[in-house]
Amino acid sequence: MPSPLPTTAIVRVQRFNPDNDKKPYMQEFKVPLTSDTTILDALHTIKAELDGSLTFRRSCRHAICGSCAMNINGRNMLVCKTPLTRELDKKGRVTIKPLSYLPIIKDLVVDRGSFWEQYQRVKPWLIPPDTVPEKEFRVSPEEVEALHNAETCIMCGACYSSCQVIAMTKEYIGPHALLKAFLRVLDPRDAAPGERLADLAGEDGPYRCHTIFNCIDACPKKLNPTQAIETLRKLAQKQQAFEAERAERQKTLALQVKSEQ
Amino acid sequence: MYKSTGFISFVLRRFTGVVLVLYLFTHMLVIGSATQGAAAFDATLQVVQGPLFKIMEIGLLAAVAYHAFDGVRLLIVHYFNVIDYRKSLFYAAFAVAAFFTAIGGLLILQSLLYQA
Amino acid sequence: MRLFQMQRVSAIALLIFLGIHMAVMHYPPWEIDFRTVVIERLSNPIWKVIDIAFLFFVLMHALAGAYVVLTDIQRVNAFKRVLAGAAIALGLAGFIYGTATIMAFQPPV
Repeated sequence: MPSPLPTTAIVRVQRFNPDNDKKPYMQEFKVPLTSDTTILDALHTIKAELDGSLTFRRSCRHAICGSCAMNINGRNMLVCKTPLTRELDKKGRVTIKPLSYLPIIKDLVVDRGSFWEQYQRVKPWLIPPDTVPEKEFRVSPEEVEALHNAETCIMCGACYSSCQVIAMTKEYIGPHALLKAFLRVLDPRDAAPGERLADLAGEDGPYRCHTIFNCIDACPKKLNPTQAIETLRKLAQKQQAFEAERAERQKTLALQVKSEQ
Repeated sequence: MYKSTGFISFVLRRFTGVVLVLYLFTHMLVIGSATQGAAAFDATLQVVQGPLFKIMEIGLLAAVAYHAFDGVRLLIVHYFNVIDYRKSLFYAAFAVAAFFTAIGGLLILQSLLYQA
Repeated sequence: MRLFQMQRVSAIALLIFLGIHMAVMHYPPWEIDFRTVVIERLSNPIWKVIDIAFLFFVLMHALAGAYVVLTDIQRVNAFKRVLAGAAIALGLAGFIYGTATIMAFQPPV
């Protein structure tokens, strides 16, 4: 017969208040434990009942907003969808720290400035072609499927904060932004793949990735930024051919569909 | 530091790369003594053929073998979609490198003992 | 992009040259006898060409690699132009010195 679940767990949280503290320190709390308790539940219990000053980001609590990514026992994950029982060690403890390599604002809240700046840098919006169809763009199911992974990204920062290159330099664009760049480059509706690939051909884009694969390990949505980066590397080397291919594809993309009615 | 096989591979690759760059410049200076004539070359080579250097050569072999086979692993990852096998590939590259180091190391040790 | 391509091209070239180097330098009786084997081989112009090509790709891979390792560090990246210049200078100097060395091997009298 399996041993019964303990009724409490020990949560070690990293604290830091810039007004009072010189450097971060760990604090322990005891929280109630059931088989359904998530780490986010534990944090809420601490804030509501034990220490109201505990500060952390969270919103949707069902793994879609990307707010609650944190470092649990050395690995990045979304705390809203992580059962507390899964992360306890033999002594019934879990260690919660903020995402690594980013400046700490307070407790578990980090400054994601560089994360968003790099995202903006890849122009994360569609640049539509000159001829916009009357009804819709005709994109094939295969083309949509190729974009599925990149679209699923919720910008939680788990990959960014696990990347060893980011640990060494914030000038690297980062797996999150490169995955979005991949999304835009491969979108058949996008009219500027050449411009995008030229921007990425420098030293801080996909060529700065050293295929360490931490991003894949960290992603709570099981996405594959490394594969996207490898594809961008290949495409950046054949920029003109890819541009020509896109121009050709766009001839049939924005067909006026009136005649098909 | 986010610990994973990818991280270990990266650190070892960098470390062996640095070792090999340092070796390269030393090697060029050693063999470069040939520009100063046969006598200078012979004298320099006498030094670097000593037993201590033979032992260090095993370290050099380990560095070359690891760096080369991890590099081959990177080439495979670049040209083929093998993300699902990333851990196995790392272990395979490490094993092959260890195998060649062991073989070469044994041969170097054998020649050292034979010399003595 | 160019650095990446240089690294890949020189890596593949080096795998080939390393294979040749290992096969030629390290075969039974596992002793590197400089007098009879190495100097004789290096006096042959074909081997001189192979070794000069080997030297070229080694310098390319080593210096490009060192540049990438250093510029991966944010503080060092501020000096990347200086580093690039130094790498090119070291590469040229190394190539000239290395070629002179390879050319210096003459058949024993």
